[in-house]
Amino acid sequence: MPTQKKRIAINFGGGYVPGLNSVIAAAARAAAELGWETVGICDGFDSLLFPERYPDGAFLDLASLAPMSLDYSNGCILGTAAASDPFHVRAISPENIVEEVDRSDDLLRALSDEGIDAVISVAGSRALSILHKLSRKGLTTVCIPKSIENDIAATSLSFGFNSALSFLAEMLERARHAARSARRIGVVEVPGEFAGWLALQSGMAVCADAVLIPEIPYDLKKVAQKLKGKADRGQGFGLVVVAEGAKPLKAQSGPPKTADASLRVSLSPGATGEEGPHVIERSGRAAAEVSRELTRLTDLPGYPLVLSEIARGGVPTVVDRQLGLGYGAAAVRALKEGHSGVMVIFEPPDINFISLAEAINKVRAVPSDSEFLRIVRALGICLGD
Amino acid sequence: MHDNSLKEPLRGLILNIQHFCTHDGPGIRTTVFLKGCSLRCKWCSNPESIHLKPELAHNAGKCIGEKQCGFCLKNVCPESAIYVVGSGDRPDDKVRINWDLCTNCGKCIPACPTNALYLFGEEMSVDQVLDEVEQDSAFYRESGGGMTVSGGECQLQPDFLAALLAGAHERGINTAIETASNVPWDFMEKVLAHVDIVLHDIKLTDPERHKKWCGVDNTRIRANLKRAYETFPDKKFIARTPLIPGVNDDEEHIRATLAFLKPHKNVTDYELLPYHRFGEGKYEFLGAIYEMQDFTSPDPETLKRLRAIIDEAFGRNG
Repeated sequence: MPTQKKRIAINFGGGYVPGLNSVIAAAARAAAELGWETVGICDGFDSLLFPERYPDGAFLDLASLAPMSLDYSNGCILGTAAASDPFHVRAISPENIVEEVDRSDDLLRALSDEGIDAVISVAGSRALSILHKLSRKGLTTVCIPKSIENDIAATSLSFGFNSALSFLAEMLERARHAARSARRIGVVEVPGEFAGWLALQSGMAVCADAVLIPEIPYDLKKVAQKLKGKADRGQGFGLVVVAEGAKPLKAQSGPPKTADASLRVSLSPGATGEEGPHVIERSGRAAAEVSRELTRLTDLPGYPLVLSEIARGGVPTVVDRQLGLGYGAAAVRALKEGHSGVMVIFEPPDINFISLAEAINKVRAVPSDSEFLRIVRALGICLGD
Repeated sequence: MHDNSLKEPLRGLILNIQHFCTHDGPGIRTTVFLKGCSLRCKWCSNPESIHLKPELAHNAGKCIGEKQCGFCLKNVCPESAIYVVGSGDRPDDKVRINWDLCTNCGKCIPACPTNALYLFGEEMSVDQVLDEVEQDSAFYRESGGGMTVSGGECQLQPDFLAALLAGAHERGINTAIETASNVPWDFMEKVLAHVDIVLHDIKLTDPERHKKWCGVDNTRIRANLKRAYETFPDKKFIARTPLIPGVNDDEEHIRATLAFLKPHKNVTDYELLPYHRFGEGKYEFLGAIYEMQDFTSPDPETLKRLRAIIDEAFGRNG
C-alpha cells in the first residue's frame, strides 16, 4: 500500500555535536524515497517562535539543497538551540510586565499552518523531556538521541559520543607526549557530569595513569601513590583524565566560589543542590583541584588542561556518520510505520524504537560491574578507589 | 500576567513573613514578601519570588536518597518528574526533579519525610497575614516600626495589597512598601492611598541599560514615580538603588537619579544598597531555569564616593 505523502520537518535541540548533517541527509533521503517532502527548522524551534528574527523564513527547504550532495562530514546547516523551550518563553506583556509564557500552542499551530505532519528532533536529554511534552499535546514526533557524554540510558550509543571520544583520545595522546617531555603530570578534564564514559574510554584507549569518573568518588592519595611509584622508577611524569563531574571521596575544603553561575547552570542541568555531588562549579574546576592536590602529594609539577566544549566540534568519525545515517533513516521508518512520541535507539545490531516516556529521566552511568572498569583495572589504570 | 492573577481577590500569594527586620523602613518591622515580579534583574537574589504562582523547591542537602527513603519515587508524582541517576550502586542516590515536567502541583511534598521538597508561596487572607504581623506590635510601638510589604513586586497583587495595608492601618500599624513600580498606574493608585512610606527602587536611569539588566525599559517606572510624587504629596518616598559594580555604580547614574528626584520635596532620601550575593543556592533549589550572572559587591571606596554625592545633594555635608 503506498504511503500517504507527508511533509516532515527536522530540527536540533540542545548542545552541538559533530556530524549533525548526516542525520539531516539521511532523513531527507529516506523521506524522498517515500515521496515525502522534508524541511529543516532553523535553530531548534526558535525560527517558529520568533519569526521576526528570521526574515528568510523558518524553514530550510532540504529538497532544493539536494541532500545527496549535502556535506555531511561536517557541521549542521540548520543550527541548534541550547535552550529552546516553547513552554517557558520570556516575553514582555502589553502591560510591560516580564513573564515566561507557554507558547507551545503557538508552536503547534505554526507547524500545522505550514502543513508539517511530523517533526524529527535530534535531542539531548533535556530536549527529550520537552519533545515528550509536545508529543503529549499532539505533535507527531520521533526523536534521535544525541549526547557526547553517551548518558541517555535507553540507547547503547548516542549520536556524537564516538566522535568526541576519538577526538579526546587523540588530544590525550598529545597531552601525554607533552607531559613526558616536560616531566610533569598532565591532568586533563573531559566532559562527563553524570556519566564517566568519555573519561573512562578515552583514558583506557591511551592507557592513562589514572581515570577519575563521577561514578567512583576518588581518593587522590591512591593516585599519588601510583605516580610516585612511577617516578621512583625514573618516570616522573603522568597523565590523569578527570571527568567534569568527578568528586573526591571526602569533600575537601574547596577554593572560594567564584563560579559564573550562568555557566554553571548550563554545565549542570541536572544539579540538585548547591553542594550536591553533581554541581559543577566551573568548567576546569575538576582539573584545577586534582592538579593542585596531586602536586602537593607527589612533589611532581602538575598542569591542568580542559577539553570541554571543544569536544563538540570537528569532523564526525565513521561510526557517528553511520549512526547518524542509520538514526535518520530509522526515524523516517518510524513515521512510516505510524509511530509517534518515540525515540530511535541502537540495540546492536538493530535500531529500534522506545516511547519517550520510557526514555526520559534515565541516566546511563557506568555500572560497577562494567566490563570497561574490569579492563581498566586489569591494565593497572588507577580509578582513585 | 492577568492570566496568573488570583481568582480570590482578597487572598494573596505570600512567600514569607519575616519578623524583626531593620533594613526595610524605620524602626523594627515585620516584612511580608508577596510572590510575583514584573522584572527579571540579572542579579536577583530571590528567584523564588519571581513567579506569581506557588513553586516546588528541592533542597538536595536534605534528601537522604533512594535507598534510605525513596518515598517520593513511588508513583507520587503524576508527571513522573522525580527520578534518580543510575542504578542503586551509585554513590549518589539523591532524587532529582525533571523541572521540564514538574507542574508545581506539590503532591510530592507530603511524601518527603526530611522536608527536602517544599513549596514556595502560600495563599493567605488579609486577616491571616495581619494576625501574624500584629504579634510584634509591641516592638513597632517602641521602635517606631510597622509592617513593610515587599516582594517580588508587591504591587502585582494590588487588590490584596490595598486591603492588607488598609487592614494594617485599622489595627494602628504603620505601613511601608518596597516596590520597583513597574506596574500599571491604576495598581499604584489603589495601593499608595494606604501606604505611609514608599521605598522605591531606581535601578538604572537609562532606558536601554534598564532593559538590558532588568528585562524591560524604565519608561513606565519613571512616569509612574513622577505621577506618584505629584498625586500623593503627603506620602513619604525614599528612593533606593541596589548598587552593583559594572551595572550602576557610576556617578552618571547617581547624578541622573538625583536630578529626577530632587524637584519633589516628598522624596526625603536616596539610599544606596550595596549588592551582596546570597541567592545562588535558591536558584539550584528551583531548577536550572534562571539566568544569574557573576556580580561582585561594590568596593567601600566607590560606595563612600557615591554616598558623598547624595549627601551633598540632600544638604547633609559635614
